[in-house]
Amino acid sequence: MTLTQSIAKAVLAAACVVLPITDAAADQTATSRQTAASKQPYTQPRTPDGQPDIRGFWHIVPAGSYSLEDQSLQGLGGGDFETRRPGGTRLVDPPDGKIPYQPWAAAKAKDIYDHHMDPKPHQLDPQSRCWLQGVPRAMYQSESNYLQTPGQIVILHDYSHSYRVIPLDNRPRLPEHMKLFMGDARGRWEGNTLVIETTNLNDLPWFDLVGSFHSDALRVTERLTRVDDATMDYVVLIEDPKMYTRPWTMRFVMKRNTEANWEQWEHACHEGERSLDRLLTRPER
Amino acid sequence: MRNRFAGSTVVAAAALAVFSLMPVPAVGQTASATIPRTADGHPDLSGIWQVMNTAAWDIQSHSAQQGVPAGIGVVDGDEIPYTPAAAARKKANYDNRGTLDPETKCYLPGVPRVMYMPFPFQIVQTPTLMTVLFEYAHAVRNIFMNTPHPTGLIDWWMGDSRGRWEGDTLVIDVTHFNADTWFDRAGNFHSEEMHLVERLTPFGPDRIDYEVTIEDPRVFTRPWKMSMILYRHAERNLRLLEYECYSFEGQEIYKPIHTP
Repeated sequence: MTLTQSIAKAVLAAACVVLPITDAAADQTATSRQTAASKQPYTQPRTPDGQPDIRGFWHIVPAGSYSLEDQSLQGLGGGDFETRRPGGTRLVDPPDGKIPYQPWAAAKAKDIYDHHMDPKPHQLDPQSRCWLQGVPRAMYQSESNYLQTPGQIVILHDYSHSYRVIPLDNRPRLPEHMKLFMGDARGRWEGNTLVIETTNLNDLPWFDLVGSFHSDALRVTERLTRVDDATMDYVVLIEDPKMYTRPWTMRFVMKRNTEANWEQWEHACHEGERSLDRLLTRPER
Repeated sequence: MRNRFAGSTVVAAAALAVFSLMPVPAVGQTASATIPRTADGHPDLSGIWQVMNTAAWDIQSHSAQQGVPAGIGVVDGDEIPYTPAAAARKKANYDNRGTLDPETKCYLPGVPRVMYMPFPFQIVQTPTLMTVLFEYAHAVRNIFMNTPHPTGLIDWWMGDSRGRWEGDTLVIDVTHFNADTWFDRAGNFHSEEMHLVERLTPFGPDRIDYEVTIEDPRVFTRPWKMSMILYRHAERNLRLLEYECYSFEGQEIYKPIHTP
């Protein structure tokens, strides 16, 4: 195997996740633009404290975060920034499915995209360093355990044991200058839709492996709606006036893991990392 | 005339000296009645907690050094029953702690060390799962309630935790450890055979008495115990922040992509 191929394998390993088996055909239909409203109304169970119940283990289908704009890159690598194919995009807005970068940001994104198979340190997906994946990537990278207790929702992500605590009240936010990988979230229920608004995000995580990055002006608004026992609709609005010419929106389908007695076990990402140094310091760099 | 007050003052002073190292006792029934409870009647341990001791530096009694506050130890009897070989290794760990301590690489601190790191943690309580979220390196402990340990060759940084209630005490059995974590910055260590039993007993609404019994026949000649207090954070609107220590060094690398 050539060095480039072995790098590709290492990079893919960081982007891909082994998931429980799901019905791929049904999932493909669900990823079309059919809205939740066109299905039979679902009677949602409630938690003991009266919230719509979204507890359980949820994962995105199809999986992975190699490239938001071109899912056909999953498992392949390569590609070209200008000709990236919108058919496989996670974006539902803008209509062409491409992230609406400002020109300076598009140039930076292209630089990373063109070199992601053989990255210099600043072209390496920060997730490969086991850094916290930020919002919303932590929501679509790996399976997550959703807990609901009175007044809050806690999401435990598999990847690198990251987590989000989402208070369901209007307590004051952090001072604007404080920036966290996972930001500062506030949630509220609009009917059966959980709306989460997250601010105070730092600019370090990327949305995907090929370098879709953002600034620390990012504001993320997520809407989660459980549409049946094992399916949740997940819509994400991205606003970042320093980076993009307009807001843009992604949409995902989440499926629930219905295996009995499922437990989330340790993923010691940083502790287990062995190839990062070699990747970044090999002689020909 | 014999001054009986002088005699009783001496006795009282002695009693104070003995009790000064112990928690101030209160009426047991009053304390129990003020513990918040979940619908199933168990104490509700939800909230943000933190220790106020110096165990993170050294779990035994120690004087101050540059950067190290003095502290009374949290080890019962102030002695850790190492085997002779293990005692030698502890000394070598201590002498080289600046490089050998896994904390210097921002590795997961393991259990029980994570419980007394100088950072807050949040307990999230559900009937089948108690999850503890730590500000330090976003560490997480999932304590699976009323279920057995998985079998097989498993070695985790944070071990496998199985909990149950005994009255108002949360009892946690922890096993399946690796040998890569320490108990503190002073080089106290264990092997993969370590087995812990933790007991968390609330005392009133704002305090948990935390005891942990350590067994590790490869390293210690007998089980031994640590005891300390977890204090509830009372600040309004408090939330866990982040201490992503293994990211500090690398953050500068990405600056060029953010500069137009």
